[in-house]
Amino acid sequence: MRTTMTAVLALAAATPALAQSKGEVLATYADIAAAAYEDSLITARALDAAIQRLIAEPSAQTLQAAREAWLRARVPYQQTEVYRFGNPIVDDWEGKVNAWPLDEGLIDYVDASYGGATDQNRYAALNVIANPTFSLSGEDIDATEITPALLENELHEADAVEANVATGYHAIEFLLWGQDLNGTDAGAGERPWTDYATGEDCTGGNCDRRGDYLQAASDLLVSDLEWMVGQWAEGGAAREAVLSDEDAGLVAILTGMGSLSYGEQAGERMKLGVMLNDPEEEHDCFSDNTHNSHFYDGMGIRNVYFGEYVRADGSVVSGPSLSSLVAEADPQVDAALREDLNQTMIELGQLKTAAEAGFSYDRMLERGNEAGEALIMDAVNALVEQTRSIERAVAALGVDQIGFEGSDSLDNPNAVFQ
Amino acid sequence: MRHLAAALIFAASPAFAGVEEAIDDHILPATAAFEAATEDLARTAQADCRAETLRSAYQDAFDAWMGISHLRLGPLEEDGRALAIGFWPDTRGMVQRTVAGLLADADPVVESPEAFAEVSVAGRGLFALERLLYDDAVSGYGADDYACALATAIARDLHRMAEDIDTEWREDFAATLRTAGKPGNDTFLTDKEAAQALYTALTTGLEFTKDQRLGRPMGTFDRPRPERAEARRAGRSLHNVELSLEALRDLARALATGPTPDTEAAFAAALELAAELDPVLADVAQVQGRFEAEILQQRIEAIQHAVANEIGVTLGVSAGFNATDGD
Repeated sequence: MRTTMTAVLALAAATPALAQSKGEVLATYADIAAAAYEDSLITARALDAAIQRLIAEPSAQTLQAAREAWLRARVPYQQTEVYRFGNPIVDDWEGKVNAWPLDEGLIDYVDASYGGATDQNRYAALNVIANPTFSLSGEDIDATEITPALLENELHEADAVEANVATGYHAIEFLLWGQDLNGTDAGAGERPWTDYATGEDCTGGNCDRRGDYLQAASDLLVSDLEWMVGQWAEGGAAREAVLSDEDAGLVAILTGMGSLSYGEQAGERMKLGVMLNDPEEEHDCFSDNTHNSHFYDGMGIRNVYFGEYVRADGSVVSGPSLSSLVAEADPQVDAALREDLNQTMIELGQLKTAAEAGFSYDRMLERGNEAGEALIMDAVNALVEQTRSIERAVAALGVDQIGFEGSDSLDNPNAVFQ
Repeated sequence: MRHLAAALIFAASPAFAGVEEAIDDHILPATAAFEAATEDLARTAQADCRAETLRSAYQDAFDAWMGISHLRLGPLEEDGRALAIGFWPDTRGMVQRTVAGLLADADPVVESPEAFAEVSVAGRGLFALERLLYDDAVSGYGADDYACALATAIARDLHRMAEDIDTEWREDFAATLRTAGKPGNDTFLTDKEAAQALYTALTTGLEFTKDQRLGRPMGTFDRPRPERAEARRAGRSLHNVELSLEALRDLARALATGPTPDTEAAFAAALELAAELDPVLADVAQVQGRFEAEILQQRIEAIQHAVANEIGVTLGVSAGFNATDGD
């Protein structure tokens, strides 16, 4: 009897269940992606409907409704950012929908304090809405009709400058809110609804062209998201890429988690803003929604590790998790990473809470504002801490040597998405 | 028997192979050199803060910074020091804007070192000082001008950070690396993690020099960007490429646990070619210059491969996440 028990235990330990569950874990990862991109699409369509109403019947109410639809659309989209760095299909595409920061003077009128063209960007103040024809990198551009194709093919990243962002969430955000001229004081952009009014009520000039631009950008956002939903559907290329090689798929999950946690969110988006005291370093700077953008980025990282995503309609997508896979390999590493991810959500939650109670993110960035700096840096430190745990999970799963075999993975994450 | 002896030597080693050597032979001498060079810069500024007097000490301090700028762990990451000392690349022209803002306001923040430490990183460090010393529109300032006080404040602030970095490395972070995997060490849970952290600094440094120091001015074939070369006003763009490669070779040698002929050859080939390029990489806008810069990038790629095979595999580590992940 005793030997039988031992044999059973040995069998359990040697069971190929691990290999099988890798596939299940990857399926959960792909299912969450499909659901989160679909939620992004559903909420972007709602935003599009609100934008159509704003243009058809411009008023303070329809502008406000469009802004609220934009804020809702950001909630699922930010939770998809964890898919960027591990998946080339996502990363090659994401610049179309979420490029940031932008030189908004490319698109529309700006305040005199914005300045004009710079060393870095000679089209920083092009103002397409006011100029139906102009020359770009030596080419004459006919922008009498503002179409999705014009935005996508001619204006976006014009002159090979990344700050020339003509499409995506942040271009739409600028057209709904306008510049935030409050510096490190509280307050978002205050674009008047009359910027979309017809006839003599029109402010800011060229209201019809502004409406055309907004509609074209909104159409593009919807079609770009439709494309990405297809990539994660059954048989879609992004899903297939993740499922086709199990170890590479796990590396994709962990690369996405680690690169977003550390270099992107903790570094580029949060720490740099504090170090520069620059309110334009807010990720959602026109709408003052940065606290939410950070919060839902963090949530997305947690989602893919715990294998659970709460959809926009409240339903839950869940399945075998990366967490359980890591726990099989090393329970301590798993426990530490779960704790770190939860701690990050507490820190990001505190930042969000303070912002919603009135201590806005731009004020946190003010020179010498110690409370703000502490709130942001606590979240940064939590993100850095969880990155170390993610590295330990990579090692625990034994997928860390993949880089040496010439794969563009953890040893050179930039190569994956450049 | 020989194998056994080797195993015993490794077992007796106080830290993971390579880590000890990296600390003693590479890191601590370099943090001390940066401290000394910035002390000289601050002292020079105290005596005479005009541009022509400061330039030589500035160049020396920048040289010394290149000896440690790749050590993006521990003391350099603390308080965002790496950003505050060398804020580059500056994709949105923040240094120009911030320095111009300080000058226009004659911001009294320069009077207090504590307050100046809170100023935007775009208004501090080597790149803000480069504007004052080498931008013709500014560099003619006199001893009583605000710009002179700003230059002094930046120099003093650089020395303060250099001192903190050197002290923290010697008194704290070196021990954290050395005691990796020992009870009570929450930073490095295994000795391998210390080696991985230094290995990541090496691979990230190589990538940065290839993609940023060379890649940014190269831009695209149709749209080269020589005006984006690092520290071009101070005439140091190429010099920084060379010094960074030399520092990284130093680190690679320290981390290596056996012979690394491919790594040595790859570094030599890259440095040999680098010596022939334009000092401020201005000729990347021409076909020939661009071609040479591309070959140099390929030679740095060859270093990356050699390092992965000869050092990464031997240490049993791959690179972790680094601060330049992201876009």
